[in-house]
Amino acid sequence: MSDHHKEPFKFNTPELDQIKKKWDRRNFLTKTSLGIGAVALGSLIGKNLLGKAAGTLAAEGSAASLEEEILRAIPHFAPKAKRVVYLFMSGGPSQIETFDYKPKLVDMFGQALPDSVRQGQRLTSMSSNQSILPIVPSIYKFNQHGQSQTWISEMLPHTAEVVDDLCIIKSIHSEAINHDPAITFFQTGNQLPGRASIGSWVSYGLGSDNKNLPSFIVLVSKNASKDQPLYSRLWGNGFLPTEHQGVQFRSGKDPVLFLDNPEGYDGADRKEMLDYLSKLSTLQNDAYGDPEVEARIAQYEMAFRMQTSIPEVISTADETDEVFDLYGPDSRDPGSYASNCILARKLLEKDVKFVQLYHQGWDHHGGLPQGMAKQCKDTDQPTAAFIKDLKRRGLLEDTLVIWGGEFGRTVYSQGKLKLDDYGRDHHPRCFTMWMAGAGVKPGISYGETDDFSYNVVKDPVHVHDFHATLLHLLGVDHERLTYKFQGRRFRLTDVEGKVVKEILS
Amino acid sequence: MIIAILLFSLTELIGRFHPVLVHLPIGMLVLAAIFQLILPKQKNSSLVPAIHITLFGGMLSAIFSAISGYLLSTTDDYDASLISTHQWFGIAVAVISIGAYILNKQQNKYTKWVILLMTILVIITGHLGGSITHGSDYLTKVFSSDEIVSSNTQRKPIANVQEAVAYTEIIQPILNSKCYNCHGVNKQKGKLRLDLPDLIMKGGKDGVIIMAGKADESELIKRILLTKDNKDHMPPIEKPQLSKQEIELLHWWISTGADFTQKVKSIPQSEKIKSVLLALQSGEIIEVIKQSDIPDQAIEKADDNAIQKLKARGISVSAVSQNSNYLSINFIAVDAISEKDLNLLEPLRKQIIWLKLGNTKLSDRQMEMISSLTALTRLSLERTAITDKGIIALQKLTSLQYINLVGTKITAKGLAQLKVLNKLEKIFLYQTSITGTDWDELKKIFPKAMIDSGGYTMPLLEGDTSEVKPPTIIKK
Repeated sequence: MSDHHKEPFKFNTPELDQIKKKWDRRNFLTKTSLGIGAVALGSLIGKNLLGKAAGTLAAEGSAASLEEEILRAIPHFAPKAKRVVYLFMSGGPSQIETFDYKPKLVDMFGQALPDSVRQGQRLTSMSSNQSILPIVPSIYKFNQHGQSQTWISEMLPHTAEVVDDLCIIKSIHSEAINHDPAITFFQTGNQLPGRASIGSWVSYGLGSDNKNLPSFIVLVSKNASKDQPLYSRLWGNGFLPTEHQGVQFRSGKDPVLFLDNPEGYDGADRKEMLDYLSKLSTLQNDAYGDPEVEARIAQYEMAFRMQTSIPEVISTADETDEVFDLYGPDSRDPGSYASNCILARKLLEKDVKFVQLYHQGWDHHGGLPQGMAKQCKDTDQPTAAFIKDLKRRGLLEDTLVIWGGEFGRTVYSQGKLKLDDYGRDHHPRCFTMWMAGAGVKPGISYGETDDFSYNVVKDPVHVHDFHATLLHLLGVDHERLTYKFQGRRFRLTDVEGKVVKEILS
Repeated sequence: MIIAILLFSLTELIGRFHPVLVHLPIGMLVLAAIFQLILPKQKNSSLVPAIHITLFGGMLSAIFSAISGYLLSTTDDYDASLISTHQWFGIAVAVISIGAYILNKQQNKYTKWVILLMTILVIITGHLGGSITHGSDYLTKVFSSDEIVSSNTQRKPIANVQEAVAYTEIIQPILNSKCYNCHGVNKQKGKLRLDLPDLIMKGGKDGVIIMAGKADESELIKRILLTKDNKDHMPPIEKPQLSKQEIELLHWWISTGADFTQKVKSIPQSEKIKSVLLALQSGEIIEVIKQSDIPDQAIEKADDNAIQKLKARGISVSAVSQNSNYLSINFIAVDAISEKDLNLLEPLRKQIIWLKLGNTKLSDRQMEMISSLTALTRLSLERTAITDKGIIALQKLTSLQYINLVGTKITAKGLAQLKVLNKLEKIFLYQTSITGTDWDELKKIFPKAMIDSGGYTMPLLEGDTSEVKPPTIIKK
């Protein structure tokens, strides 16, 4: 190690002075408009002048401290869940072949869907021009399982074993009918791109318990047909500070690259370099006041800490054969859904706040029987194992597990209906999700759909309600976690959402 | 616009000074009367200028009181009839005090009679004002025996709760004790009265407060459930609060349709509410809600300095909930725990109730240092190097409800040492040195606790399949 870094950091070099002098257009406008804005704000809050002491008023004068005020109030109530893991089944798994048991459909095979059920609701252009919308029952049998006697498809034999730990919501409904808006809606609370994702809201609102790992980590299964794309904005931070965006791990043997230092360069060198860089960045930050600079400093330091924390957390050396057997044959193949489930568990053990798994391939417009068989085979055992594993480690007590897709599928067949083959189109009016663990009632089903699994007939749960409930379980009042951006306060639930109290334990 | 708002706030502000200002005319005018009374005695003649001054001061303050009182009446919501009498008497006092002052200045011989009349008016006005603020039964309440009823809901036992009329025997007493003071006959804050069925359903100035069948959307319930720091929280934080059971009862009554005549037996009841209702029979309300792992009693604020020291070490410290001084501490980001780190917990021992030391290099030797954290309800020690020797230290943690020992070398014998911890509800023991018949032993030692061994064997139910079968084709 050389000693040249020991030299004191020079702040008054001509180059650095340049930064201080630089007043580009953007910088100029920000600074001057802030000044004008502060005056305007002062007059706006004049109404409260009489009610408040001058001291607190001064503190609230700047926008930054208002945000701090909001964060300081969290948790709003005692949290049931300390961490969340969201198993996102991208593509829209059929509720009819999994959890929403509709025995009456068997007698209606091939009949046209009655207009009284559809009520003129829109369809996608993929099936709206079909001459007939033929009803098709689940090709798979359903059986009752557990103390709760819940009906579950024979395609999910392992999930059936843990059904008494699940809170199955059959009445989730969304507004979007196509993948991109629907998945964006689920992940960010709005169909249009640009808002902050759930995980980044959680990271922003609750911070991190473990400074050595990102508080929001994303894992994508490699062993799935990528019929619908995933894009990083689904775990993006939107308008929230950049350090809250989801950190995606690679799906494979090395989830995080470049953890090792180059040859002849050790951790102390790296630390010195980063300290030096951080000083430079601070200097820039002082001049510009751009929060992105702070985010960059934070991310560099996170990366440095991850050099030591990641190898430990991704190592499977400690895992027994029993664990691999529990998660199934894929679990030894890094990057598979099963393997990601194990990794997710290890991240949760390290108190990562929000872990999101994505498993694609549920978009069965045709060939649904075979498609579902494959999807279920890939995910059923690992998912059930995940629940069991969390439970026996005492983690299910304060971890919320969520399973679900962006919408469900239609009761009618898309394309030609055969005895052993059919497809189903997108259906946002009702579909099934489940939650398990911290704070939700185990072994219950909530909400009901009609005999066609087309409309919700009892206890509807909107996507906003789901978000509100999720935040509630984390101890956050969804109406009070806000962030001001472009002159407006934003919430994950926008201006809607109500907590589904009935499913809370 | 802003000026208008400012003006409005200003009138409200002046109005709020009324309760302070009124004491001045009462004191000064009565003092003037007393001076007047003792004046005839020869030696007191020096009081003449004093009468003059006190009358002047009393007059001025009476005028200001009347003005501020009028402003207050326009902004706050009080019983109109009570206000109007008080208002006219108040104005009368102000006018007569002006008269008394002038007469006194002119040495008029009727001055003392006017002062006598003024004194009587002052007393009446003061009493009326007091009745508005404290309630008209404020003075007489001392003599009545059932004084306790209005401050605390200590109801008489209901002989058979199922036969009782839900509203009159259960709901009304709650409203009576917790709401009527401000939303009753005397005062209608927010133009809301809760003492009559029609008025309850009518709501206040912000609209209806009860949506029959939808308790969670009813303003009444919403306000009650708001956190206490919210200014809309009801009852106001300084007033007696509703108990959990009372909230449950209100919630139940509204969600079942807010009927004013039905008997309890004809209203649907969940298991939870049944037990709350049953408790009304015995007169005492039994705690039916599950034991919380956050203690009920308040605790003083933790030393901020101590918290900062922990945070500086990368130890996560968070409040368990808003307005709670209890703390949750997590050592997950600390690789090598030192005695120094654990020492940092000592000043916070009253506040720490959740402690996570799992996945760290915690050793038996260090266990002694957490034995003083007697407030702990949850303790995570998973995958640490602790053994049977170390957990003896936990015997002192008598509040413990949850303990996680997954992946440690603990044996059944070691765990048996924790028998004294009779509040333990959950014990996680996956991947420990506990084997075979030990489990049955442990069940006997901890009869109340849920013991998780991690070795789940699921009974195979009929119809369970463990492999994916080729799809069966359903024929029409």
